Amino acid sequence: MSHDYKAVQWTPFKKRFDLWMLGGIAVYLIGFVAITYASQPQGDSLAPVQALIRATGTLAFLLLTFILCIGPMARLTDRFKPFLYNRRHLGVTTFLVALVHAGLVLMWYHGFSETNALVSLFISNPRYESLHGFPFEVLGFVALLIMFLMAATSHDFWNANLGPGLWKALHMGVYFAYGLLVAHIALGAIQFEKSPIYVTLLALSAVTVVGLHLVTGMAGMRPSDRTANEGWLKVAPLAEMDDARAKIVRPVSGEAIAVFRDGNKISAVSNVCRHQGGPLGEGKIVDGCITCPWHGFQYRMEDGQSPPPFTEKIATYATRIVDDVVYVNPDPNAPGTPQAPSLIGAEA
Amino acid sequence: MKRAHRRTHFAIWAVLGPVMLWLLVLAVQNRPAQPVNESLPDALIEEAR
Repeated sequence: MSHDYKAVQWTPFKKRFDLWMLGGIAVYLIGFVAITYASQPQGDSLAPVQALIRATGTLAFLLLTFILCIGPMARLTDRFKPFLYNRRHLGVTTFLVALVHAGLVLMWYHGFSETNALVSLFISNPRYESLHGFPFEVLGFVALLIMFLMAATSHDFWNANLGPGLWKALHMGVYFAYGLLVAHIALGAIQFEKSPIYVTLLALSAVTVVGLHLVTGMAGMRPSDRTANEGWLKVAPLAEMDDARAKIVRPVSGEAIAVFRDGNKISAVSNVCRHQGGPLGEGKIVDGCITCPWHGFQYRMEDGQSPPPFTEKIATYATRIVDDVVYVNPDPNAPGTPQAPSLIGAEA
Repeated sequence: MKRAHRRTHFAIWAVLGPVMLWLLVLAVQNRPAQPVNESLPDALIEEAR
């Protein structure tokens, strides 16, 4: 909820999610090391630290790939919505796994030098002009710095102090971190790994992330071309309005509108959550309140206000039902303005 | 999500995506025939051999 800096609270679901996540990480690391040793050709001698470097590196990259797929996938299927709600924990965990990877690399490849390991990382290989000899570790280090900034500011204290706009802009740095990681692997592991698994995994991951973001991004920007009924926008036939869920309508100008059905009531509010701009229309109604799928901020359907003691307000919109079809007026009311819902069965 | 944020989001991926994939193709095409990790200190490579 949205009071002071305690927006995201621990729930039994979050605790279960974290346990599954930590269990999954342990299984991956143990499994990766076991398979690496089992499939090692005779004569090769891979140190346990090297196996761990590969395990933590691949895990951090796959976790970040998954995190970047959560947003667009949640727009395509409801199954991904629980991950939206827990994305922050996944992000911080990914940073910690990447930090272990970087620590092991510094210790193993730079720790035996007389030069400071961090300095050695930057000066031991100055071949910036070479493609297959490029100092790829530097790319990973910069990506890690970006991930650190994001993990360190993931608490709501920073969201409240920086403001949702700046906070969101800062956290879009994850896209550049991902690009740097793709380059880190392409110019690093791919150059000396004989196995096609790494190339395939990297290519599949990058194509999936880029493809999903571009496809859902295009769909999300397309305005709803359904102006009808004296300038009101057609939302959907009543039969298509699922209970406790919303349809999102995008006017040609202004923000998207989330039109919710709660039993026999239809109400519309802004699709933009006051917390971090989350898509309210992808959430659902919990305890009579519209609940953001990102971090659980809640708003009352009838006036767009968060229930006491919270103070957030979002714009409301007038709705009406004509011939069993729901329409919404694209002109917003001021945030927090009471707006009577349209009642199913009571239309003129 | 705000409309402006969606546009920025899309623009970043429209630029970053092709760059990322181009780099990936270039990196795979230019892999050395005999894979070596030239960014490692020579002494370590010798020791590994």
